[in-house]
Amino acid sequence: MSDMLKVDKISTYYGKVQALHEVSLEIGSGEMISIIGSNGAGKSTLMKSIMGIVQPKSGTITYDGKDITKMKASKVVYNGISYVPEGRAIFPEMTVRDNLEMGAFSRKYSGDEMEQHIEDMYQIFPRLKERQKQLAGSLSGGEQQMLAVCRGLMSDPRLIMFDEPSLGLAPVIVEEMFKVILEIHQARNIPVILVEQNAFMALKISDRCYVLENGVITLSGKSEELLESDEIRKSYLGG
Amino acid sequence: MKTNKKTLGMFAVIFVILLFVPLIFRSNYYMTIICQILIYSIVVFGMNFITGMTGQMNLASAGIMACGGYTMAILGTKFGLSPWIGLVAAIAVGYLIGQLLGYPSLKLKGTYLALTTLAFTEVVRLLATNMVELTGGTQGIKNIPCFSIFGFKFDSSFKFYYLALAFFIVAMLASLRIVKSKWGREFLAVRDNIEAIDSLGLDVKRIKLRAFTLAAIFTAVAGVLYVSFYQYMNSATYTTGLSFNFVIMLLLGGIGSVYGNVIGAILVILLPELLRFLGDFYQMFFYLLALLCAMFFPKGVISIVEKIRNVVLSDRKKAVAAGGKSGKE
Repeated sequence: MSDMLKVDKISTYYGKVQALHEVSLEIGSGEMISIIGSNGAGKSTLMKSIMGIVQPKSGTITYDGKDITKMKASKVVYNGISYVPEGRAIFPEMTVRDNLEMGAFSRKYSGDEMEQHIEDMYQIFPRLKERQKQLAGSLSGGEQQMLAVCRGLMSDPRLIMFDEPSLGLAPVIVEEMFKVILEIHQARNIPVILVEQNAFMALKISDRCYVLENGVITLSGKSEELLESDEIRKSYLGG
Repeated sequence: MKTNKKTLGMFAVIFVILLFVPLIFRSNYYMTIICQILIYSIVVFGMNFITGMTGQMNLASAGIMACGGYTMAILGTKFGLSPWIGLVAAIAVGYLIGQLLGYPSLKLKGTYLALTTLAFTEVVRLLATNMVELTGGTQGIKNIPCFSIFGFKFDSSFKFYYLALAFFIVAMLASLRIVKSKWGREFLAVRDNIEAIDSLGLDVKRIKLRAFTLAAIFTAVAGVLYVSFYQYMNSATYTTGLSFNFVIMLLLGGIGSVYGNVIGAILVILLPELLRFLGDFYQMFFYLLALLCAMFFPKGVISIVEKIRNVVLSDRKKAVAAGGKSGKE
C-alpha cells in the first residue's frame, strides 16, 4: 500500500506557543486512520496544518508525491483534500442547497456537474433534499453535521478529513454518523482521517490509530491492538 | 416560467411609469429629490456588498464619493476633458481605493475597521479643504461639465433624471446579478461563518477585498453623477455624517436586499423633506424612527413586505390543502 499522504516531523506554532512537536503520520490509499486525544492536544492544528490554513514552521507534508507543506488552502482543496471542520461549521443563514454549492467553489463545475454532485449528496442523506430550500440554521444538530459532511464531499475529494464529527450529537445520531463515514470510505474508496474524542468509536471503525497528547504522538498502531492495550483503556476508554 | 413572465411584466410597467416621472412631477424641487434618490441608491447598492452581505463596516463612502467627484471635476474643468473620460478615470480611482484602502483595512475587524474607514473620509475632506489650488477648498469647483450624448446635454434636473435612471438601472441589474452569483454567496459566507470558509479552500481576504472594491467603484460612479448633477462641488458635502447616512439607508431598507436598498435611500432622503414641518425637532423624530425600525424590523423595511407575502402564501397553501382534502372526501 503506497502512502497517499505523509506528514513528516512537522512543528506548528501559534505565535510563540508550540502546538505540534515533530508530528509524523502517514495514510495509505484505501485506509481509514483515526487520531485521538483530549482537548487541546493539537488535533485540529494538525488538520489545519495539512490543509495549509496554518503553516508549519518545520517538517514536510507530502501528498501524492507532491510537497504541499507551503501550499495555500485553495490549492490543497483543488488537489483533492477535503476537510470537514468541527462544530457544524455550516452557513446558518444560507439555504441547504447554497451550503452544498459553497463546497464546490474551489472547483469549476458546469451546471450539470454541480447538479449531479448535489443529487449524489441527496442520495447519501435524503433528508437534505427535503430541506434543500430551508435555511441551514433551522436544521437539527445532526442534520447540520450531515450537511457539513456533504459539503466536504462536494469538491470530489481523494482524501477526506473529519474533525470531531460526533461533537455534541445524540448517541443515536453519533452511530449513524460513523456508519455514514464508513460508507463513504468504502463506497467511494477514499482514504479517511478521522479526528475524535470519542476514542471507542474511532478505534472501532478505523484501521490504524494515532494518539496525540500535548502536541506529541505518544502511541500509534493497529486500532484492534490499541483497543486491547491497557494504556488506552485507562486514559481513553474509562477503565 | 409563469412567475417570471409576471415579474417581467411588472418591471415593464414600473419602467414605463419611471419614464414618465418628469411629466408627473413638474417641479424642479421634486425632480432634484428624485435624482438624489437614484444617485444615493447606487452608493447603497455598493454598501450592500461590503457592509450588508460581507458584514464589514464601511464608513469611507463619503470619502470615496468625494474622490470620484473630484477626479471628474478636475479633469473636466482644468483639462477640459469630457465627463465620460472623467467617469472612466473615477472608476479607476474607485478600483484603486478599493484595493489600496481595502488591503490594510480588511485585516482589521469591527470597531477598528469602522475607525480606519471613518478616518479615510476625514482625511479626504481635510485634504480637499486645504489643497485649495487643486480642489478650490471650501470655495469648491464651479462649472463642472455636464454629461452629453450626441449633443444632447443633461443640464437640467428633468434631463439629468434620464441619465441617473440609466445608471441606476444598470447598477441595480448588476447588483441583483452579483447578489445571486457565486460572489454573492461568498460575501454572505464571510458574514455567516468566517471560520468555515478556510476549510472550503476559499480565501477570506480576497473575498473581502472584492466586496470592498465593488463598493468603492459603485460609490465613485455615484460621486461623479452627483457633481455633474449640481455642476458644483465643495469639500463640505463629504462629511462623516454623509457616510453614516448611507449606513442608515442600508439598515433601514434591508440588509442584503437590493430592493430594500432602494427603499432605504427613498426613506432617508424623503423623511427630512416630509418632516420639515417639525422644524428643529426633525432630527429627533428621524433618529427615533430609525431606532424603532432597528428594534422591530432588524432586517429592514423590506422584511415587512416579505412577512406579508409569507402570510398570504401560507394562507393560500392552507386553502389549497383544505380544498384538496375536501375534494378527496
